[in-house]
Amino acid sequence: MAGNFWQSSHHQQWILDKQDLFRDRQHDLAKLTEEEYQKVFNFFASIIQVLGEQLKLRQQVIATATVYFKRFYARNSLKCIDPLLLAPTCVFLASKVEEFGVISNSRLITTCQTVIKNKFSYAYGQQEFPYRTNHILECEFYLLENLDCCLIVYQPYRPLLLFVQDIHTQVQDDQILTYAWRIVNDSLRTDVSLLYPPYQIAISALHIACVMLGKENLKPWFAELNVDMDKIQEIVRTIINLYEMWKSYDEKKEIQGLLGKIPKPCPAPQR
Amino acid sequence: MADNFQNKTMASVMMDYEFKMKTQNERSKVEDLFDYEGCKVGRGTYGHVYKARRKDGSDTKDYALKQIEGTGLSMSACREIALLRELKHSNVINLIRVFLSHTDRKVWLLFDYAEHDLWHIIKFHRAAKANKKSVMVPKGMVKSLLYQILDGIHYLHSNWVLHRDLKPANILVMGEGPERGRVKIADMGFARLFNAPLKPLADLDPVVVTFWYRAPELLLGARHYTKAIDIWAIGCIFAELLTSEPIFHCRQEDIKTSNPYHHDQLDRIFNVMGFPQEKDWEDIRKMPEHATLVKDFKRSNYQNCSLSKYMDRHKIKPDSKAFSLLQRLLLMDPNRRITSEQAMQDPYFSEDPLPTQDVFAGCPIPYPKREFLTDDDQDDKSDSKARQNQQQQQPNTQQNQVQANNHDHAANNAKRMRMSGQNQGNNTGGGGQQEFHQQQQMMFGGQQQGSSNQQQGNFQQRF
Repeated sequence: MAGNFWQSSHHQQWILDKQDLFRDRQHDLAKLTEEEYQKVFNFFASIIQVLGEQLKLRQQVIATATVYFKRFYARNSLKCIDPLLLAPTCVFLASKVEEFGVISNSRLITTCQTVIKNKFSYAYGQQEFPYRTNHILECEFYLLENLDCCLIVYQPYRPLLLFVQDIHTQVQDDQILTYAWRIVNDSLRTDVSLLYPPYQIAISALHIACVMLGKENLKPWFAELNVDMDKIQEIVRTIINLYEMWKSYDEKKEIQGLLGKIPKPCPAPQR
Repeated sequence: MADNFQNKTMASVMMDYEFKMKTQNERSKVEDLFDYEGCKVGRGTYGHVYKARRKDGSDTKDYALKQIEGTGLSMSACREIALLRELKHSNVINLIRVFLSHTDRKVWLLFDYAEHDLWHIIKFHRAAKANKKSVMVPKGMVKSLLYQILDGIHYLHSNWVLHRDLKPANILVMGEGPERGRVKIADMGFARLFNAPLKPLADLDPVVVTFWYRAPELLLGARHYTKAIDIWAIGCIFAELLTSEPIFHCRQEDIKTSNPYHHDQLDRIFNVMGFPQEKDWEDIRKMPEHATLVKDFKRSNYQNCSLSKYMDRHKIKPDSKAFSLLQRLLLMDPNRRITSEQAMQDPYFSEDPLPTQDVFAGCPIPYPKREFLTDDDQDDKSDSKARQNQQQQQPNTQQNQVQANNHDHAANNAKRMRMSGQNQGNNTGGGGQQEFHQQQQMMFGGQQQGSSNQQQGNFQQRF
């Protein structure tokens, strides 16, 4: 559905307030610093990305799955559902909503097993992926409830393509799109998809791409946009901060420690 | 749910107990909030629909509760929830709420209740016609219906949602109440994939998908659903409203094949419309099944066929505004077919009588209310209410036969909502209903063309 963003549940319910978001995370931020929290989400966004690529999903589906994941934990602590279960559940649900088709249960579980074993052993060591189809299906109901059935997510990719088309009337440069597209992908590792409308994220990604490519001559194009430049600057800063963080961060070394620190679900009390 | 074995080996708990309990306590169950047992009004490939009332009496409105077929979240359930959650238009069915039943993994959708639909309305008119009786409806009713259908579809299309399964049974009309006589488009074909438009609703779908409303390009193998395909279906519905006959009625067999090409249906279309001229539909040569078409059909067989002749036989004059709009909706070339927006601008709608918000224009509604269905496959849970229904219903054998044999007219079979005396007591138009009750019996009584063919028999009578 390429309907009207302004009337969508995305706009009306899921553009969150920064302060509210921060407040709802207090439980988790008692155990993790803000940076550690971000690194944990960075890691699970990678899991979703790799799972999606293995399952040959389009980037749009992967992005939607990632947003589901972030929306769930925007309202709930990491301890409520093990993120290692929620991540594939988000992929499973998003692929149905985006009309990719249903991924067969067995294929999903097998893919999870291989991906965890082959690509994320630095985080999970010798542990196998512990969940089965029935876990995913149960989790899916909880996910849908917590999303309040808001399943259509608007992504920055479409507005990005439109902006680039418009830019092309002035400057012919295919690199701009390539860069900006990747920056949008990277933005999924931050909170911007919870805080800003997708078209603003698209403009911010374009902005960063133009700076990287030294496209001074596009300044007038940005100046003519009728958009809140303060918001664009906030998004740009968030994404640049991510890049700064990556420079000095070695996930392979740190992630096991971080995963050990996140609040875990508690089982039913023993009788 | 994480079983012990896994807990031991992985030391992982999938879900926090406290979180689970808290969500469980906050979750409302459909059976706690609504009364609906014994009140089934529809069943089909999509699942079961019940007429429901709130238990707490906070309002006395009727609701429609749809229990989606199967368990869990199929792709069609996901698409339906995802899209209906976003769509808001007075002529599109409004999803009020979703219930997820964790114990039996059933998904329930809550809607406003629509007392009527075009399948029943047209059937009522056919029955009256067969008995040489007239039904009193406002002059502009067909126009109002068509206008609201177009309005709803225009909204869907401008949101890039294609209906993909428009037919009379999916066009609902609100009964008495604040939205009296308002069209509600329902049951979008959410499950159809873009690249396999003709795949019947998975393999769980044993019932026939009706081909009568299917655009010629689909029958010739078009790979994608388009807005124009919805427009063709609206044209078919318009014609059917004007004449009470399905314009492209065709004998139907089990369509379990994935092949979209359907000889008899195309033959029927050409018999009404005439065989398309090259100049009228240039791209017909590019259709995947064009070679088959050339092989199977002879233009000369349809020399004397045209839409104007067909409609003229049904007393719709070729120089009327209704006819000229119909012709623009039913253009064979999908590229020339008009859009919903253009259709709404057609002079037909600015000519007297003007379309009204209440399609019944304040006049009494002549159509009976929906009757409750019995559960053929009822388990021991079946309550006395349901048994009562069974007793009140007309010869049950007939219903079972129709169901047992889904070779015929199964679109109707799927949507089979029986009408007649059930609700006479609380219907102001009770007298009229009584009459219809009899009419229906006569209608069926007059058809002895094979026990499983009662419904189709009605159509065959005229062709």
